[in-house]
Amino acid sequence: MFKKCCLMLAALVLSAAALAAETRYVLGVDGLACPFCAYGIEKRLTKVEGVTDVQVDVGESVVRVTLEDGKTLSEAQARQAINEAGFTLRSYAEAESDRGGSDAN
Amino acid sequence: MQISSPPVTVSLLVGALTLMCVSVVQAAPNTFNTALPVAQGQTIWREQLVFRERSDDGPMDREVSVRVLGSVLGYGITSKLAVFGVVPHFFDKVLDVTTPMGRIERDAGGIGDVSLFGRYTAYQHDFTGGTFRVAPLLGFTAPTGESSDRDRFGELPRPLQVGDGAWDGFTGVVTTYQTLHYQVDGQLLYRENGRHDGFARGDETRLDASLQYRVWPLSLDGVSGTPGFTYALLESSLVHRERNDIVSGTDANSGGTQWLLAPGLQYITRRWVFEATVQLPVAEDPDGDAIQDDYIVRVGFRRNF
Repeated sequence: MFKKCCLMLAALVLSAAALAAETRYVLGVDGLACPFCAYGIEKRLTKVEGVTDVQVDVGESVVRVTLEDGKTLSEAQARQAINEAGFTLRSYAEAESDRGGSDAN
Repeated sequence: MQISSPPVTVSLLVGALTLMCVSVVQAAPNTFNTALPVAQGQTIWREQLVFRERSDDGPMDREVSVRVLGSVLGYGITSKLAVFGVVPHFFDKVLDVTTPMGRIERDAGGIGDVSLFGRYTAYQHDFTGGTFRVAPLLGFTAPTGESSDRDRFGELPRPLQVGDGAWDGFTGVVTTYQTLHYQVDGQLLYRENGRHDGFARGDETRLDASLQYRVWPLSLDGVSGTPGFTYALLESSLVHRERNDIVSGTDANSGGTQWLLAPGLQYITRRWVFEATVQLPVAEDPDGDAIQDDYIVRVGFRRNF
């Protein structure tokens, strides 16, 4: 009985975690070559509704965007934010895992 | 300001900067503008402390020491159009000169002439890990500084005043080629100075170039995120000034051409830039006994909002 309860509890926790999974995107950005410029991208993307985290990887010229559950970032939204920051969107992809996703290239 | 031992002072300033333990930022010239983007809705604040020593070889043996803090605010109206305001605050501007009365010292201080300019990115070619941009700029300087300050000897010489009393205009173009490893900037700028009360500073044409080379981290292999970059700088400024206009014509001992080189360091993070350069004259061709720069030390920071 105790074992069954534990299994049910674990299943419940796992399913809840799955339902609450964040949506992640990986954006390839051209024109990005220094840390100071990266802040402008962070600032523009965090204005998009639902965005909870923006990680800029200058060396790889990619930006990883995390959104809260149920929210999405369209390619048009991403392109507009990157353009407003003064850069060019090279690629756009939804990450497959919730550990940062794959390279958009 | 009197700096009795320039090399020691310069070493201390540069040393102090390199010892600052701050996490940081973006490369850009320390002595002029850049074509790098200011994101739409983004504000950049820059403070730069400048120590400038000037002198001439004439019989009056003029020496001018300037300590000024240049405050700059930039704002991105769009991703291509940014506007900037520059407010110089002169802590002191001291002239030592030999006169029939002997060696005397005269000084001025306060807020100088405020400049406003706009910069538009007219050409932009982005590629992975780099960019090339060309941006014309256009601006003016308003006569906000005192231009008729006096001391016990009477009214200060016009070039010593912190303001020239006139509206000045300037225009130019700045280019930036930037990669992850290095950045090259160039600027051509022309400034036309207005006349006020019988005096006009000579118009100025300048050609600047800057190389910023990333020296740390040496490689970005295995480095994720947005690490701070340290750049070594080498900047070149070729400046030509026309003679000053005075009531009776032109001042024969003003104007000329000077070429300065400026080695320096820059540390850049996402939100901050810390930078320092020392501009030194390499070649000069003054008109008459015109005063020329001996050295210019610049230490400052930039902050993103």
